Amino acid sequence: MKRSTLFKRPAAAPLDTGRQGDFGYLQPGEIYLDAACQSLRPKSVIDALTDYYTSYNACGGRVKYAWGQKVDNAVADTRRAVLGLLGLSAKSHAVSFTLNTTYGLNLLLQQLPMGRFDRVVTSHIEHNSVFLPTITAARRLGVERLVLDRAADGALLYDPAQLEKAVVVVNAASNIDGRLLTNLTDLVRDAHARGGIVIIDAAQAMGHARALLQKTEADAVCFSAHKMYGASLGVVVARHELLTSLELGFVGGGMVQDVRESDFDLVQGDPGALLEPGLQAWGEIIALGRAIDWLGSVRPGGLAPAEHIGALSRRLYDGLAEIPGLTLLNTAASPVISLYAPAQDSHRLAVFLSHSTIMVRSGYFCAHHYLKQQLGLPPLLRFSLGLHSTASDIDTATQALARLMKGLS
Amino acid sequence: MFCIAAFIILVVMAAFSARYRRYVGTAWNCTWRRVTFRPCDTTFKQDIKDHLLAPVAARRPGLVKPASIGLEILAVLVLLTTIWSGYTVVKSAVNLYVYGTCNKQDSASCTLGAEACSIPDETPGFMESLGEFDVLGAFGNEFASLGETFAAIPARFQTWTAEDYLPANPSYLAEDAANPIAVEVIDPGCTFCKALFANIEEVGFESSYNLTYIAYPIAGTDGYKFPNSLLVTRYLEALRLHPLDGAETPVDWQILERIFTEKAETGLPWQETINSMDADEATATLVDWLGEFGLSADQIDVIVTEAGSDTVAEVIAANKTLVEEKIATVKIPTIIFDGRRHDGLVSVDGLR
Repeated sequence: MKRSTLFKRPAAAPLDTGRQGDFGYLQPGEIYLDAACQSLRPKSVIDALTDYYTSYNACGGRVKYAWGQKVDNAVADTRRAVLGLLGLSAKSHAVSFTLNTTYGLNLLLQQLPMGRFDRVVTSHIEHNSVFLPTITAARRLGVERLVLDRAADGALLYDPAQLEKAVVVVNAASNIDGRLLTNLTDLVRDAHARGGIVIIDAAQAMGHARALLQKTEADAVCFSAHKMYGASLGVVVARHELLTSLELGFVGGGMVQDVRESDFDLVQGDPGALLEPGLQAWGEIIALGRAIDWLGSVRPGGLAPAEHIGALSRRLYDGLAEIPGLTLLNTAASPVISLYAPAQDSHRLAVFLSHSTIMVRSGYFCAHHYLKQQLGLPPLLRFSLGLHSTASDIDTATQALARLMKGLS
Repeated sequence: MFCIAAFIILVVMAAFSARYRRYVGTAWNCTWRRVTFRPCDTTFKQDIKDHLLAPVAARRPGLVKPASIGLEILAVLVLLTTIWSGYTVVKSAVNLYVYGTCNKQDSASCTLGAEACSIPDETPGFMESLGEFDVLGAFGNEFASLGETFAAIPARFQTWTAEDYLPANPSYLAEDAANPIAVEVIDPGCTFCKALFANIEEVGFESSYNLTYIAYPIAGTDGYKFPNSLLVTRYLEALRLHPLDGAETPVDWQILERIFTEKAETGLPWQETINSMDADEATATLVDWLGEFGLSADQIDVIVTEAGSDTVAEVIAANKTLVEEKIATVKIPTIIFDGRRHDGLVSVDGLR
């Protein structure tokens, strides 16, 4: 007997990121191309945050009442999800939540043990979140600081000897042109072989280039939930050994087991707590868990997020490359593309595009040393894509810029 | 230039809307750097310009460049206008303090001072000179006038003693050796002099002061502001040269009293009637009045002859110099009493 299709359970349809779906709050014509700064949050993430604040917005952290336990469970779930996202184990790594990537990097760099390292190594194309703390960390540790070049493919150009007892701090994906740290595995291996450690700024990589960081051997990975569809939050994933070696200067409630008049005992068996003094952003942590779930299930146009972003990146790169009068910093397609027009002011172009509700960033994107000092460039214009972006967005933006460039020339 | 203009506009807009107040600080920082000849260290100018040009860019990108130039020109105009406005406000305030009128060239046009007939300044105005392409003259006259005003400031602090400004042959409305002297500058045709006379009578000013006058026919663009003022003044001065013995009130004062307080048979005030007469009619009227006030035919002949004499002309010229250079008033009437100079119509309370 043939069964009625009326009672047949439909197959799970892939999620769509169209305007009417997760990003339905975007008004027609609004084109947001600054996801490298902050990705737009899908509705489910916003709902999770709202749910926390409207249903059980209690304190977490070893409480006995129901709401608090619900918060603790949700936070624990997020920690597991973060580790799962990177393919790492809680046996070797801990997850700490902070304010943002910059804050996470500073927590690590400014508390490194004295006398253990001989140098701090970074690269020219770093965001100020890396560039500045490495300067202060080298000063504090009293060691030299090496600023190395990156290849066009993003690989760090180093001599293994330069990694001798080094603290290497580099990005996994550039916020200027999206180039990836293609020799991450080699770098970590070489650094570890010489007593060094590697701390990764994964702010730009976690959104669309997480594959690079899967099961990474790096000692710490810092990133921002707000660049990967979560609420505003910083995350540090670090090896237990690194965390327990820190000479803690930032301390507070939540990271101690006992306190006496002039001393205290740190909490045992929870290295992640060593970077979490004080109350945490419970709602934002819970929303990150939802964002990770969403990233795992979303299928824009039936494609995996990375494939979808890849296709849009090529479309954007090709569209921008065709516009006369523009100089692209990118040598290849990327979700982040920076450019400038020698005859036009980038800030002015950004304002003009904004008038057409096309939102792009202008300036030096917190990479002043590289763009301004080293390359001697004027302020730039940056287009960055997210899973809310559509082909139509890209076409509209590139056409608007082309029209502007033609009219202004 | 642009950020200074923007600051000016934002200050005005911020007075009405809090939305603009947050920009005022930035604009001021930029403006201060510009006026101290340093480059602006913010992108304020660019930000404002870009936002103003954005609607143009959205519709016609090709018009952005000319529109940008237009904005710069507009900024210059705003700045110049503001500087000129500020200068005018300061100048007017000083004029108001020194002369009792914010417009020295046409005092009657300034509503802030006391009512008065203005003594027109024959020097061409700034815009008038510019209209004649006399740029040097425009600025020269403007600053000369300003300098004159500032130079006159000390006069405001001085004690005005009427005796120092007496005309030749003064006659007094009433005379009492115990009373101090007061002197007024009047034009017989000026309606505010008439009003002042009414106030003087109302408070019995003549019983407190020995009041005399300087007759000053106000010059006009073509002759005199009031056509028969010079004629009347000639008769007044002739009467002062040949006063009628035994008259309780000097005849010249009786003429003034009639002009200022009485009406003709037509029902119109005499001042208005005389102002509208031709010279012959006015002369005949004055001659009639002389007879009425007790002058004999021979005495009238003497007055008529004297009124046309060089002697009277010299007295009038001397009085003109006294008014314009020594008293330096630009408003008629002006009255000096009680240690002060009062420009324009003085109220009854003021006279008390």
